[in-house]
Amino acid sequence: MHVNLKNELLQDHWFVVGFGLAVLFATVTLLGPPLAPFDPWDMSFAPISPPTAQHLLGVNDGGQDIFSELLYAVRNTVAFGLVSGLVALTLGVIIGLISGWFGGYIDTVLMRLADVLLAIPAIMILILTAALLRPSPVVLALILAGLMWPTISKAIRAQTLSLREGLHIRAAEQIGGGNWYIIRRHLMPEMFPLYLIGFAAKARMAMFMEASLAFLGLFDPSRKSLGMMISYALKYYYMDIWWNWLLPPIGCLSLLIMTVTFLAISLEKVLDPRLKETLGERTA
Amino acid sequence: MSLSIDRLSVLYQDGLHSIQALDEVSLELKPGVCLALIGESGSGKTTLGHACLGLLPQNASVEGKISLNGQQIDYNDETSLNQFRWNRLAMVFQNGAASLNPVYRIINQVAEPLIQRADIGRAEAMLAAAQALSELGLNHDECNRFSHQLSGGQIQRALLAMALILDPEVLILDEPTSGLDAVTKTIVADVIQKARSGNKTVLLITHDLEFAVHNSDTITMLYLGQIMETLPAEDLLTSPLHPFTLALSRSYPAMSTARDLGGIRGDAFYRTVHQHGRQEGEIYKHSHIQSPGSGHESSHAPPTGCLFQNRCTQALDRCRTEPVALEVIGDHQVRCLRHGIVSILDLKQVEKSYGDVVALRPTDLTIKAGEVFSIVGETGSGKTTLAMTAAGALKPDNGTRVFDGHDMDEWIRRDYKSLARQIGVIYQSPAESISHRFTVLEAVAEPLKIHGLCRNSAERLERVIKVLAHVHLSTDKAFLGRYPHELNMGALQRVSMARALVLNPSLLIADEPTSSLDPSVQAKVLKLLLDLQIELGLSMLFVTHDIGLARKISDRLGVMLQGRLIEFGPASLVIDKPAHPYTRLLIDSVSGLSQKSFNSRSGRVEPGGCPFEPRCPRAKDVCKNKNPQILERGHRSVACHFPLE
Repeated sequence: MHVNLKNELLQDHWFVVGFGLAVLFATVTLLGPPLAPFDPWDMSFAPISPPTAQHLLGVNDGGQDIFSELLYAVRNTVAFGLVSGLVALTLGVIIGLISGWFGGYIDTVLMRLADVLLAIPAIMILILTAALLRPSPVVLALILAGLMWPTISKAIRAQTLSLREGLHIRAAEQIGGGNWYIIRRHLMPEMFPLYLIGFAAKARMAMFMEASLAFLGLFDPSRKSLGMMISYALKYYYMDIWWNWLLPPIGCLSLLIMTVTFLAISLEKVLDPRLKETLGERTA
Repeated sequence: MSLSIDRLSVLYQDGLHSIQALDEVSLELKPGVCLALIGESGSGKTTLGHACLGLLPQNASVEGKISLNGQQIDYNDETSLNQFRWNRLAMVFQNGAASLNPVYRIINQVAEPLIQRADIGRAEAMLAAAQALSELGLNHDECNRFSHQLSGGQIQRALLAMALILDPEVLILDEPTSGLDAVTKTIVADVIQKARSGNKTVLLITHDLEFAVHNSDTITMLYLGQIMETLPAEDLLTSPLHPFTLALSRSYPAMSTARDLGGIRGDAFYRTVHQHGRQEGEIYKHSHIQSPGSGHESSHAPPTGCLFQNRCTQALDRCRTEPVALEVIGDHQVRCLRHGIVSILDLKQVEKSYGDVVALRPTDLTIKAGEVFSIVGETGSGKTTLAMTAAGALKPDNGTRVFDGHDMDEWIRRDYKSLARQIGVIYQSPAESISHRFTVLEAVAEPLKIHGLCRNSAERLERVIKVLAHVHLSTDKAFLGRYPHELNMGALQRVSMARALVLNPSLLIADEPTSSLDPSVQAKVLKLLLDLQIELGLSMLFVTHDIGLARKISDRLGVMLQGRLIEFGPASLVIDKPAHPYTRLLIDSVSGLSQKSFNSRSGRVEPGGCPFEPRCPRAKDVCKNKNPQILERGHRSVACHFPLE
């Protein structure tokens, strides 16, 4: 990179906010269990009690500490989003590069497969799988990744097709660089912004999907999840619990998604200076 | 009267090692014929002349024999030798003023051989001398001057008169034109002409190539005491067969060549032979070539192989070891293992289309080892396609490609990398041909990395630094860490030259390498490129749209029109006397003036017709219907029904 990354990033508001939130969520994700004041499965407290100094967010209908529950839920959602997003990105990049670089019938086969997957609604597959087979969350994350890669690979493939006509890539070919060498040294570094966009979009989608599935009660009910918390809280919304029981998981979910988005926007902008103007950030 | 020299070897003893001046030289000089002996200084030309007269110094040991009219000359018999020297065999020495006696008047010195050898009275001799001198253009006053009072040209005339005064049968002229202006040279030429018509045998020792071409019948090229090539005089500048002949002719500022002077890479001064006593009955010889700057640590000349191989543009490993004899090829005699200059690249009838766009129509292209071939043409004429096909980066739809004697397509299938090492490519736009994410070091090291030629990064760095120094770029750490966008275009194009050269290719393909540079940077980059071409002994395919540029750099030149070479041949010939009207148009358009005599309408080209027909002022009906075949005319090839004369 030819830019002073640190200075550029610190001047960017999107990054500062996104990074702050990311640090917060990373702390929660990594240190959730020791931070939690109580065992979130412990049902020994007075059900549906408002927040106190001991129970920061009160106690839910099952007599569990909501704050502890929230810490565990965030951890699960983030892990699901990261795993799913990373796997989708990896699949998408590999398939996109292979498809774009080798072309021919490899390209045709892979891209038709991508078209088929794009036509199938992911949520439907996930609901059916979760309901019928009851797989572990990791398997579900992988299945989701397996459904999400086509959009990434389409973008990577398109970029590969345009890059492969570039003179430096043809020069490397003429020198005798093999396929793997050119993909690794010439194509992959050129597409960094695409990885960020792809990952952010997919991680966002996966986190939202996880919350949705949990909301619908398709996960093991004992697994803490933001969606499940929202779903339980909604049952008692006529009581005055919305601010201490319903709002925290909803807020966390929104903030999580915003974190990923903010970071992606800022990194993309800094790494690809051409985007600065289109986003109008400098002048705004 | 014929003079024949048979396996003449001359060694100058000099302490421990001796200098090998001549190595088994055999020549046959016939009456009425002038043979020119050409070579660099130190090649043994003068030694040969002196050997014929028996004038070699004491420390010379001579082997072989010289015979006049079939009768061997006995160089030990001083009295008969003295008689024979001026009467039958006369020599004009190099460095004329030094061979005249400063205390005698010129006319006395010219008369001297008459008095001494022909027993003629003094008065008669003086008359004859005056007569001989005036025939060569010296008047009475000048005849009576001393040698230091005469100009170089007048001295040369006096020497010629001296040599001719006894009407010898064999005349040896040692560098008769060196130091003479062009006009005085013609007097020497007249003398040679006259001697030839007088059925004398003339041996012309010279390094003036053009003079030799026009005044001799046969030319013998001498290199470090060995004959490299014997060829008809008119072939010297146009179709030599030995790489040495080609390189030497390229170094000569002939009026007919437009290209900047070349030169021969490396140097060679003389050849020494160490004699390490006898081993199993024969003298064990160990031979070296001395070159300036090498001191006593001389470059190791091959003990057995070709003497020229270290400076040759097409040397193989076996050239170093295998002995080479002169062989007859056509009317040439050539001492080369590879039977003369080889073609490094040979494209036959290559064709290429992109969809229904025809980029290349069936075209032949031959690049000889060590030459620069330029392709000139308008944009879209298929230059780059042809160049990339030659580079092996594009696969032609049809046709055969041969690189260095091997089928290229087969080679690409078998082992593309080893072919890629042989061909370096410089692209039009250096900024695009180098990844913007690579530093200078990474960019230049990339080919080494791809080919895995270096064991570690230190070795790689060493090679990168070496090649950067070759292209006159800085080699310090800061520069190596620069990114392409931090460099100016000239430096960047040199980086891409370094990239193309780092694998030591034998063919360099440059696709408009200077079109993005301003004239001053272009001049520098081109000069560097040509210097490297000579120093590294590369062959080069140079693609450009600028015919003026091509003229300055190429040995041969091809003009492309609509995917086909329509004229190619020696650059000077094609540019001075273009045969195709399109070439004429290209040359005339260089100034930017509109060309009224050519039709500007870009009328429809009939399929199968000549692509230039709509614009051609000479077009006739046949041009509409029939695309002309490439035909050889003189030393060039042209595809036109009505070529210009």
